[in-house]
Amino acid sequence: MKPLLAVNGVKTFYGNIEALKGISLTAGSGEIIALLGANGAGKTTALKTIVGLTPPGEGQIIYAGGDITGKRPEDLIRKGLVLVPEGRHIFPALTVSENLMMGAFHRADKNEIASDLEYVFKLFPKLKERLNQSGGTLSGGEQQMLAISRGLMGRPKLLLLDEPSLGLAPIIIGQIFETIREINVSQKTTMILVEQNAKLALTVAGRAYIMTAGRVAMSGAAEELQNDENIRRAYLGG
Amino acid sequence: MNLFVELCFSGLTKGSIYALIALGYTMVYGIIALINFAHGEIYMIGAFTALIFSLILSSWGFSGLGLIFSVMVIAGLYAAMYGYTTEKIAYKPLRSSPRLSPLISAIGLSIFLQNYVLLAQTSNDILFPDLIGQLDFLGFLEPIAHLATPTQICIVITCAVTMAVLSFIIKKTKMGLAMRAVAQNPDMARLSGVNIDRVISGTFILGSVLAALGGLLIGCSMQQINSNIGFLAGLKAFTAAVLGGIGSIPGAVLGALILGFAENFTAGYLASDYEDVVAFILLTAILIIRPEGILGQPISRKV
Repeated sequence: MKPLLAVNGVKTFYGNIEALKGISLTAGSGEIIALLGANGAGKTTALKTIVGLTPPGEGQIIYAGGDITGKRPEDLIRKGLVLVPEGRHIFPALTVSENLMMGAFHRADKNEIASDLEYVFKLFPKLKERLNQSGGTLSGGEQQMLAISRGLMGRPKLLLLDEPSLGLAPIIIGQIFETIREINVSQKTTMILVEQNAKLALTVAGRAYIMTAGRVAMSGAAEELQNDENIRRAYLGG
Repeated sequence: MNLFVELCFSGLTKGSIYALIALGYTMVYGIIALINFAHGEIYMIGAFTALIFSLILSSWGFSGLGLIFSVMVIAGLYAAMYGYTTEKIAYKPLRSSPRLSPLISAIGLSIFLQNYVLLAQTSNDILFPDLIGQLDFLGFLEPIAHLATPTQICIVITCAVTMAVLSFIIKKTKMGLAMRAVAQNPDMARLSGVNIDRVISGTFILGSVLAALGGLLIGCSMQQINSNIGFLAGLKAFTAAVLGGIGSIPGAVLGALILGFAENFTAGYLASDYEDVVAFILLTAILIIRPEGILGQPISRKV
């Protein structure tokens, strides 16, 4: 079977700087892929490139059987390609409910939107209590829950999660990762997970790619990577 | 006492019209952080379109409310076309340029539009029929006409209704939600499926329609217009927007009302020569004391 996403030899430039030096990766339907590596390795750029925020200078991106290279993010979300960006990017002056509605902005199927909203409230009951509060007043953990929920409101086939654990308390991180796994199991949503916390990411991911300096240095099944002493020491921080 | 009430009403009238124009400045600023200096010219063009079509339509036998509403719609459409086109020509190509470039482009556009109307309409004051004052059924307002003319009262009511409609659009419609989202975080809005170009065009169209309505109303109230009216009115409305906090919609309305009252009380109790002076003293004062404006958010810049 063909993978849902195939990135082939993609290079991305910021001005003259080559941020991605030709990366290739695939994500099969229903998989969780972890994208690991140090700061500045190009993980976030990889996600931004896939979703169209920073179009690639070279290479090709195939998604759901079609070439999406150079397509714009506002069009790709209609195909179920959704990014939950690093730093959450909640609309601070919109209410929680409006933030969620923004996630479903491109959709017109009112009944389905309502049922997705129910699903999101089941995952994160806290959001229901905060419905009319403005997004900027939420705590960091609640904002992350809102960001993921907003992404889910777009009915993603492929959900790109950038650093969902960043700046959160360990107990909240556990909760978020539990939910990520739950979404993957119940909705069959394919995910690409970018994480600083490699150990944590490898507990939910099936496969992982390790990036260094704009390239994929290594890839393999999560278990293999976790158990390989050398890899652990070199890339995963012990 | 009568003078005071009279000044209050005329201040409210003036402030309401300033508000219609100021909203265009503040909405565009909120979305693309551009001071659209050509906005005053859109208002002027709205006034001329209203004048031309009120003459054409009344010669075709239109009159009363029918005439006003048709003129309103045509002037609104015309101004919307201008607003839409100017954004595409003068601002869109410069969207990723340094911020000074679109500002200069805006000033150039303003000069161009002013002179283009000047060529077509000469620099003379041209009489504008008071379409509102001609409405017979407003006769019941005659007893208080020494305090506020029927035209003034209608202008204030029209502006209030327009602002209620605008606030509904911004708070309750999908277009309004998209506008607010783009203003807060354009990249995230795109990631949510918002077509930014469309939202920006929509904002220019909305602002232009409001400005054209302001042009029609000022014509009825002053009963003469010329190709220069956009310059000072634009500057005043911009002052109002800054006073209230640029980017803030309630701020623009508040700033416009304060400015309208301040100008009229100065003209009434001091001398009309001083009203512009007071307007710009207010601008200077607010920039010194509270640069973000009365209802504006303090600006913090990432370095």
